[in-house]
Amino acid sequence: MAPDFVLYIIFNTLFVLAAAPLWISVIKKVKAWTQGRQGPSVFQTYYMVAKLLRKEVVYSSTSSRITRFTPLVTMAAILTAALFVPLIFVPEPAGGIGNIILFLYLLALARFFMALAGLDAGSTFGGMGSSREMSISAIIEPTTIIVFAALAFVFRTTNIFDMFARSAATGTITTPILILIGISLFIILIVETSRIPVDNPETHLELTMIHEGMILEQSGRNLALMELAAAVKLTVLMALLINLIVPFGLATTLTATGLLIAAVLFVVKGTILAGIIGLFESSMAKMRFFQLPSLFAMAFFFSALIIIIEVFA
Amino acid sequence: MTQTPYDGTCGIRELLGFTITDDRITRGPAHEYSVRVDEQEYVQAAENLALHDFALAALFACEEFSGRGRYSIFSVFERKQDILILVRDVDGHAVSIAGLFPSACWYERECRDGFGITFDGAFDTRRLLLHECYPDGYHPLKKEVPNRSPEIAGDWGPEREYPFRVVNGEGVYQVPVGPVHAGIIEPGHFRFSVIGETIFNLEVRMFYKHRGIEKLAEGRLPADCLPVAEAVSGDESVANATAFCMAVEQASQIAVPGRAWYLRTILLELERIVSHLSDQAGMLVDVAFPLGANQFSVLREEIVRTSARLTGSRFMRGRIRIGGVSEDISSDTLSGLVVFLTEFRKRYRVGLKIVLSTPSVIDRFATTGIVRKSLLRPLNITGPVARASGGNSDVRVNRPYGIYDQYTPRIQPLSDGDVLARFTVKASEIMDSLDLIERLVADIPGGETCSSDAVRDGHALAVIESPRGQNLCWVRIRDGRIDRYKVRTASFCNWLAIEHAVQGNILADFPVINKSMNLSYAGTDL
Repeated sequence: MAPDFVLYIIFNTLFVLAAAPLWISVIKKVKAWTQGRQGPSVFQTYYMVAKLLRKEVVYSSTSSRITRFTPLVTMAAILTAALFVPLIFVPEPAGGIGNIILFLYLLALARFFMALAGLDAGSTFGGMGSSREMSISAIIEPTTIIVFAALAFVFRTTNIFDMFARSAATGTITTPILILIGISLFIILIVETSRIPVDNPETHLELTMIHEGMILEQSGRNLALMELAAAVKLTVLMALLINLIVPFGLATTLTATGLLIAAVLFVVKGTILAGIIGLFESSMAKMRFFQLPSLFAMAFFFSALIIIIEVFA
Repeated sequence: MTQTPYDGTCGIRELLGFTITDDRITRGPAHEYSVRVDEQEYVQAAENLALHDFALAALFACEEFSGRGRYSIFSVFERKQDILILVRDVDGHAVSIAGLFPSACWYERECRDGFGITFDGAFDTRRLLLHECYPDGYHPLKKEVPNRSPEIAGDWGPEREYPFRVVNGEGVYQVPVGPVHAGIIEPGHFRFSVIGETIFNLEVRMFYKHRGIEKLAEGRLPADCLPVAEAVSGDESVANATAFCMAVEQASQIAVPGRAWYLRTILLELERIVSHLSDQAGMLVDVAFPLGANQFSVLREEIVRTSARLTGSRFMRGRIRIGGVSEDISSDTLSGLVVFLTEFRKRYRVGLKIVLSTPSVIDRFATTGIVRKSLLRPLNITGPVARASGGNSDVRVNRPYGIYDQYTPRIQPLSDGDVLARFTVKASEIMDSLDLIERLVADIPGGETCSSDAVRDGHALAVIESPRGQNLCWVRIRDGRIDRYKVRTASFCNWLAIEHAVQGNILADFPVINKSMNLSYAGTDL
């Protein structure tokens, strides 16, 4: 493995861990502003993770080993998936890293274990959350595949590294396809990170929870890992959108200044995207559970359109 | 269905369907008739009343009332402006009418737990307010039982477990929710039987926070009982205090000065606005639309602060007093209130417009949690919930108390019966209450604010429209002290409606349906 790639692994993982909690708070802040509230500090998620790491872990008496290792498996799967999406620096791809199919299934692995842990603790709400999450994932998975297939058609590769390298080289692609990809990826982002109108990340209202339901029985450092994993997942999906649509500043060679500029630019772009997510969330109520497929169908439709354009145009 | 004219004792005889001597019929101070009946006549009367569209508004017992039996059971029947109370004297057994009036079910179980009266022929004989831990034979409302905690069993066998309705079948599973909830809300247990997400059956179990309000009131001086009445349910403080005062005033024939009624009515309507606003905010929180929810929460908080400026208490406690109000509110303060409300009305309209023009909110509200009109009478559903389902009952209009005969509210019933209808009905009631308050402040006369007449022995029934619907209060004063204080809030009736409203809906929609009905746990569990 090239030394560049080892450095990439270290940089990318550290950066994603450090930056991830920020966006969660930025979204909360923007939502608070739209409601005329001050909102929590943008560092609140860091404080929360730090607090949870110090807290005792409590296990339900009916839980098995699954509850104990799920936080680790989830975090490991999400962090590995994070390696597939370069945030600030794109090295030459190595091994199978960067493959979009593998990337999707790493996310699915995390989701699978989270759903198992939801069932494992024996509480009603965990089971309900798991059941809903699995229903949603059964519908969103084909859509995600089509969206990624569309990406593969547009960039003529199934490797995220190559896609980023191409978009960084050509700059922002200025075709209508850009808008279609943007919308599709945004919908995937909303669904995968359990945000309004699919799920409400701010409620612990038992009967409506999806993601929060599954992690309801987690506590202490296990909860910290789950929360951090959710934040990393959000960051990774945001990075996918940002680095494909507005790639300027993305470093392709390993220099200190290049990395610094890329990091600053990424934080700026991420904050803007988090702001857009916050505004989007504020603009509507949660959808009825059984009407969610219509939202997914939109992403499906746009992606299918891209494929048709790419194949026949 | 013909509406038998109901005027005087002849009408009552025709209504009941049997001959009855004049001395058994008494006319109460608020034009309600009480008829003393025996068990056999009672069943016949109940059948006829059911045929004549009467609803059972309350059923409660009082010990040592008539001297003819150990307990007297009062059944309050209601049809629009008519109220008919059937009084039975019983010893330990009574006939159940739950088959004729399903709303009797909870009342009879409540009586059984409180007094140990067995209702023969009842289809549901489970405990209601006494949970499994209370010993057998413990009936706290009996006079011989002292007002203190009984020996509570720490453990009980499976034979004492509360039997929920069991729904069997392939794919049906039970989802127990509560009584401890994830948020800071009151305790209640919800047993859902679901098929996937769809709710097949819901059974509600309440009474986890029984405070013994009725027992607490007994033996107190009527004036000392006011804080008890105010504590029935926090956001209905004014309504319950006013109902209590009305009952005492009617029993003692105290005339309340005009200015006092204007002030009381202003507070009553302010309370309605606060209650409806928190509901609307809550409904929006439950569909995850905080942008709209926050506007209403802010407005609610401002009204609550204004209430605190008017009365010194955020929930306007301590202001209603037997005979009037405890302290006058100056005309400067009142005109300040009108200025505030004018501004409030504009901002409320803006908030309402944002909410009602957001398609995703309308989509969640419309066709969700429908309460069918045919349920209104059997379950005696009341208040905005009934008015959103095609009912047009409002105590302020049907049986105006105080000055509501001069200031008739405009009720704008809707017939859809869904969450959207309840939201809209509440919005129009807020607007109407604002109008009412402005007119009241413009017309308020000067003069005394409290009568100095003394409280006398007697008993009376008071019916009032609280924010949640009809509240009913029955007070008996004996030797200058409260002998029995029975209060039945709108929530006690409406809780059963939710079991029907959620059927066929999905679990994720339960919170918003629940919120749209605005049910008080405290008001149910006295």
